[in-house]
Amino acid sequence: MLQDAAGAVSARAVSKLDEAAAIRAVQRGDQDAFERLVRAYDQSVLRLAMNLLRSAEDARDVYQEAFLRVYRNIHTFRFDCSFHTWLYRIVTNICLDHLRKRRVRREEAAVVDTVDGPVDRMDSFEQEGPGADPERRLWNNQLGIRIESALCDLTPRERMVFELRHYQGMRLRAIGDVLGTSEEAAKNCLFRATQKMRAVLGDLI
Amino acid sequence: MTCDAVIKELALYYYGELAPEVEEGVEDHLQACSSCQAELDRQRSLAVMLDPHELAPPPDLLAECRHELVRAIYREEAPDVRRAASDPWGLFREAFRSIWHPGIRFAQPAGAVALLAMGFFAARLIPEGRIFGPSIPADAMSIRSVQPDSTGRVQISLDETRRRVISGRIDDQNIRRLLLAAAREQDNPGVRVESVQLLKDQSSSAETRGVLLEAVLHDPNPGVRLKALEGLKAFSADAEVRRTLAQVLLKDQNAGVRIQVIDLLIAHQDPTTIGVLQTLIGKEDNNYIRMRCQNALRAMNASLGTF
Repeated sequence: MLQDAAGAVSARAVSKLDEAAAIRAVQRGDQDAFERLVRAYDQSVLRLAMNLLRSAEDARDVYQEAFLRVYRNIHTFRFDCSFHTWLYRIVTNICLDHLRKRRVRREEAAVVDTVDGPVDRMDSFEQEGPGADPERRLWNNQLGIRIESALCDLTPRERMVFELRHYQGMRLRAIGDVLGTSEEAAKNCLFRATQKMRAVLGDLI
Repeated sequence: MTCDAVIKELALYYYGELAPEVEEGVEDHLQACSSCQAELDRQRSLAVMLDPHELAPPPDLLAECRHELVRAIYREEAPDVRRAASDPWGLFREAFRSIWHPGIRFAQPAGAVALLAMGFFAARLIPEGRIFGPSIPADAMSIRSVQPDSTGRVQISLDETRRRVISGRIDDQNIRRLLLAAAREQDNPGVRVESVQLLKDQSSSAETRGVLLEAVLHDPNPGVRLKALEGLKAFSADAEVRRTLAQVLLKDQNAGVRIQVIDLLIAHQDPTTIGVLQTLIGKEDNNYIRMRCQNALRAMNASLGTF
């Protein structure tokens, strides 16, 4: 058991070293290293953007913009924080901009354009296949709508903290680093977010 | 702790974000207070209710994003991808930087034959359904991504009227034929690089070697050409390969490619190489490459120029 743990720690250390080497290679202009770096993180970036923005098209925009910013600015990365933190600062800033714009627009279209044609946002919440019990499908759809509504009631920052903590499993200290705020402020955000969620969804729990 | 104080901390307690001393206080209180315990249960229920509503990106979205990123980077880099670097490492960097260069335009008939072959073999890979049937025009199909994994399999994503994913072992003959076609994929340098990267390890086949030679001679992307050159390393003594390399050396615009070709040519003693190197010295404007040629000629006891 101890050996396993030691092995895991050692593997993480090696992986950090690999990552640092890859970043330095990218800073020297090595495109292969850039691709390796992108592939190491891009699935989690896409998942984060998808969950925050609840739209495949917006998630795609965030992905492009985030990694292009990384590409343009990686020469400024000085290893004074982890690459993960640096990348997530970029991603969360872009996502926060999207969320703020939505709040300014006030109303979010229920139907969004995708590569496969117009898709209703709420379809994303469907948990059952076409053959499932109709009552259960209806219930799940309604639940999805309620949850979507509860998430929309959060401020962009509360939404971000909640997403990073609840769905991405990041610690609040790391979230504070990413968002350029204190752990305490991140705690307050999470507290307010859960209070609001409970207020909206209280009758369901 | 009072009930009010505990209830304020319950969310952070649930997420394990309380300081140890506060956490201990909450736990002590919870053991003795059923109403706060019920509040904690509600917190848990909320989390359980939210968990299934995490969205997973659509299956093809990641591959599409990667593909678009490659294109976006190319658009940014294109003006700079020219022979500007002055140091030898810079020349290699220049070559790698432009790895995503799209725009290959092979002859249409060759492309059409390749696409038809892909249709035929892909149909055999997926027996049920007329996926590549004759009613679907071959030119409606293009390869979007090629992804190897650590188990020796490769996944090829291609568009016809809709995208379909085919996977199989790299040494599978049908997969290899798709890879050969992917190495000629017109608009996607990322696909070409990935395919050539996989094919170069199987360059013992004449067909594969032919594709690598074609890439070295005609692919507009220096990154693809460099990968293809790697695949030809083991055959640098072969007469046909050497003839192609000599052509590439005298016409390729990328200094990194020219340097690698020199390495391959001088790896074997061959009197015809002397003439090629002497010709190159006469027209080469890159100091480093001229120096490499001069060193190679001296090592072969040959004169540095033609008289």
